[in-house]
Amino acid sequence: MKYISDLILKMSSVDRRWIFLVIALSVILPLYFPLGLPIRPTPTTQQVYDTIDALPHGSKILVSCEYGPSTKPEIHPMVLSVLRHLFKYEHKVYVTCLWPDGQFLASEALDLVGRDEYELTYGEDYVLLGFRPGNEAVVKGIVSDIRKLYTIDAKGTKVTEIPMMNGVNRFEDFDFLFSASAGYPGTIEWVQYAADPTNVPMSTGTTSIQVNEVMPYVAAGQVQGILAGMPGAAEYEALIGVPGIGTSGMDAQSIAHLVIVLFIVLGNVGYLIERNRSKKY
Amino acid sequence: MFGEIFGAWVAVFLTFAIFSFLYKDNPFYKIAEHIFVGVSAGYWTSMFFWTQIQPNLFGRLWPSAQYSDGFWYGIYNFFGMISSSIFPEGGIDKGHDMHLTYLIPFALGIMMLLSLFKKLSWFARWGIAYTVGMAAGLRAYGYLNSNVLGQIRGTIIPLADPDLPMFSLLGASHFNNLIILVGTVTGLLYFFFSKEHKGNFGKVTRVGIYFLMISFGASFGFAVMGRISLLIGRFVELITYSSAQYHHATLWVLVIMVGLLGYSAYNDKDNPETERS
Repeated sequence: MKYISDLILKMSSVDRRWIFLVIALSVILPLYFPLGLPIRPTPTTQQVYDTIDALPHGSKILVSCEYGPSTKPEIHPMVLSVLRHLFKYEHKVYVTCLWPDGQFLASEALDLVGRDEYELTYGEDYVLLGFRPGNEAVVKGIVSDIRKLYTIDAKGTKVTEIPMMNGVNRFEDFDFLFSASAGYPGTIEWVQYAADPTNVPMSTGTTSIQVNEVMPYVAAGQVQGILAGMPGAAEYEALIGVPGIGTSGMDAQSIAHLVIVLFIVLGNVGYLIERNRSKKY
Repeated sequence: MFGEIFGAWVAVFLTFAIFSFLYKDNPFYKIAEHIFVGVSAGYWTSMFFWTQIQPNLFGRLWPSAQYSDGFWYGIYNFFGMISSSIFPEGGIDKGHDMHLTYLIPFALGIMMLLSLFKKLSWFARWGIAYTVGMAAGLRAYGYLNSNVLGQIRGTIIPLADPDLPMFSLLGASHFNNLIILVGTVTGLLYFFFSKEHKGNFGKVTRVGIYFLMISFGASFGFAVMGRISLLIGRFVELITYSSAQYHHATLWVLVIMVGLLGYSAYNDKDNPETERS
């Protein structure tokens, strides 16, 4: 028994760099040797899917990209999957960005899904309106008069010359909003200044760290479901039947979580043993 | 193709340079840190200027639709001699009409920039005062409507609905609704500081603390999940860039960087100051 407690004590005081190495291995190995762990959609992911699925064909959908390269692994797979789902039902997709980095990531996603996969026409089936600085003021601007804020799209084309912009003057002209958000400004600002005052339904995909913050809006029915981090993206990929980066990362995610839990337990057991010994002597 | 390969090598180098901080602070990390700060500032400034200031501010002050030979466009043409890309010939064509009221935000913006000069820095207060006032007013409404009223509505839930099951792992049930009620009330009472948290009141607020602790635990769990997701994202790219298509960038950069860090550690082994991580 003493040998085991000594071993645990030794392990709990190991150099932190060994822990980093073990975490790195627990992420890399499942990426090379996938385990194929099952992915089951949570009710909040299912809610996002069902809400989008229930929209009438050819609806006007606003997708807002509030993320950057630092959060790309979590949010980008969601955007790709949601775009695939939207384009499948021939919805018209309008993309805005509250983050400057969101613009080129949104452009990348639209080129991949809209142009290459679905062979759709820019300006007729989808449009990238781009980034405007101003945080919640931009959301308010879109709600009151989108044309005042966006006179040109991200390519510099006048919105009056974009066919799919006909009849789009304010936020209420959209049938649905999907906010792909990694922080401020993002989902919460869309709820506060757009969805709640106008009753236009919205769903969101957020980084894991934001989930606790946004979940109360989902529970209160202000947001129709949430894609929670990379697992949310993987679940959505499973629902639309197109596996991507989210799915391939889930094995690594599960194993890494298991290892972290193990470290937490080990650290706490070590602490308890140490405390008991110091009490004894 | 060269650009793509070069980009991959840069991405690999910067990723490993940042990761190298896990070993200890070192010049690779410093290089990556400084590049990140510089590139971010440059990118943001450029995006702000070309998506807002040039089209939406200058575009409203000197629109091409109302171009004339008068004094106002004379000023514009003078600026055009300095930079024709910002002030192109014949006015700015971004679909705007002239709105001279935009001179006010223009002036406030210049006032903000005056904070760079010590003697004139007080001008910046006007710009800041406007921003603070506007943001406070805007947020007050948003918070009141969505966070206060919306959330209160969300917690008004039936406790004796015959259609609801007694227990449910997911979704509404009598038990889950009771937890929402107890959690909301005790959580709010915990932040009621006009009465000392003692006796029965103290016991109730203690329940509130437990709910808060569960929430913090969930937040921590999600934070860990987020960080691991980002790590997976980097590793996926490193694996991609380790292929022959990118001339095994990952392998080469890793070997060179580990070699240099190892050599540096070997040289510093007798110096206790640099050995400390």
